[in-house]
Amino acid sequence: MPAAATARTWSRYRYPASLFRFLALLAALVFVGYAFVYLDVRLERLLDLFQRLGTLLADRYYPPDFAFLSTPRYLGSILDSVQMAYLGALAGILLAIPLAWFASYNMTPSRRVLYPLARLIIMSCRAVHEMIWTILFVSILGFGMLAGVLALTLFCLGFAGKLLSEEVEAIDKGPVEAIRATGANELQVFVYAVLPQVRVAWTGISIYTWDVAFRAATVVGFFGAGGMGWYLQRHVQQLDNQRVAAIIISIVALVLASEIASAWARAAVAKGK
Amino acid sequence: MSAAAMALQVEAVRRSRKQRWRRSLGFYGLIAALALVSAYTVLVVDTDWARLGSLGAVLKSVGRFLAIDWSLIPHLVEPVLETFMMACIGTLVGAILCIPVIWMGALNITPSRWIAYPLGRFLMTFSRSIHEIVWALIFVSAVGLGSLAGILALAMRSIGFIAKITAEAIENVDPKPIEAIRAVGGNGLQVLRYGIMPQVLPVVLGTIIFEWDINIRRSAIMGLVGAGGLGLTFHRQMVMFNYPGVTTVILSILLLIVVGEVASHYVRKAVT
Repeated sequence: MPAAATARTWSRYRYPASLFRFLALLAALVFVGYAFVYLDVRLERLLDLFQRLGTLLADRYYPPDFAFLSTPRYLGSILDSVQMAYLGALAGILLAIPLAWFASYNMTPSRRVLYPLARLIIMSCRAVHEMIWTILFVSILGFGMLAGVLALTLFCLGFAGKLLSEEVEAIDKGPVEAIRATGANELQVFVYAVLPQVRVAWTGISIYTWDVAFRAATVVGFFGAGGMGWYLQRHVQQLDNQRVAAIIISIVALVLASEIASAWARAAVAKGK
Repeated sequence: MSAAAMALQVEAVRRSRKQRWRRSLGFYGLIAALALVSAYTVLVVDTDWARLGSLGAVLKSVGRFLAIDWSLIPHLVEPVLETFMMACIGTLVGAILCIPVIWMGALNITPSRWIAYPLGRFLMTFSRSIHEIVWALIFVSAVGLGSLAGILALAMRSIGFIAKITAEAIENVDPKPIEAIRAVGGNGLQVLRYGIMPQVLPVVLGTIIFEWDINIRRSAIMGLVGAGGLGLTFHRQMVMFNYPGVTTVILSILLLIVVGEVASHYVRKAVT
């Protein structure tokens, strides 16, 4: 055989696969381009986005009305938000624990009934955005923190349920079989074989859930469910932009603080086991 | 081991268990006490039970939602498409915008550890700590009503998560291919292209698809504050007190999300 006369070009994908990949990419590009046309996106507005943002911030939102932040009613609403997030996260996690057990394919007590049922509950809680839950509960129960707590509970149930059950699905089967061999029932297997394995991860997930719940709790009030969002909505509608700026800044600062605290707590839990 | 030493050890274990039990009892007691205080505020101070009425009244108002407004369905096609496209473009724009953030916020490729790295990290947290509703409010007042505001809000909200996961993946790459490319004379850009990118690409694509899936949920509420899509239809049905219409819109959101979930499953399989 003569030495390779023609330089061979190497490619990762051979003929049919490469064609399909090219076509898929092309289709995606066409779709994105068409979407811009369909949505009637005024790209020229992007050009003066920064200028407009600049004048907006300088003329209307500046200076932020920080004095408003220290009024007792606003401080009270911060406390309300914290309490709503706490209750919502706690109730959501407590409900998510049995559901996560039922919804983990490897440990569920019944694969026919409980597994799909628990999966369905978790998925539908997750699928609907927390703001839509809030609006629904507000329209059923009226304005106030109760609606917010229930909305946050469902939101946390969906969020924590998914993460907790994924953690259970990744456990080591050895202890499970050992406990089962002693004649333990399903609940005992869960308590003595599963819980000790996932305890640390579940604690971390719970702290993270609180974090997410607090972020949502700061804005559920926008649709009438109490807390800081209530003032945000009021001042947005009154076009009282300097107060809006102050409220947004306070929300960002509080969420950042809670995020840093929760990152620290999660690291401590992971280290301390 | 003698019997006495054995007994001592058993005693020590028992004591440490008791101690741990007491500590965890205190911890759970604290959690329960805080929950009681919060529950008191919510259920007793804040809720007006008289106005809420009996369980029957609540069930009745739940019952109003239990119907479907079939006449609304033809009007839903357009907003559903709009929501879906907003999510796609928003994710795409977010993925493009997060490139400089990743570059600054990954410890092993950052241009400067003291200025760019903390800035990149801050931007990641900042983007995630503002709720999408607040982002949408900001952009609606900056670029006006419509889907452009929604796209920008989704993009800004997505930056944080994509950038964080990608930066962590870049920090954990195997250094050997990078050294090899340096050894054959590759410059910084070539190291990035041939040393780092092949290693992190599966993670990045998976994260983008995950974020896209979440963005479909988010884009369904953008309309509540004037940024287009299904949220606007939802809001309209709500203010018209057309409760069956509200249920119909929610069902269409669910349908869209299920389609998105199935699609993301297959796309993920195809690209990774």
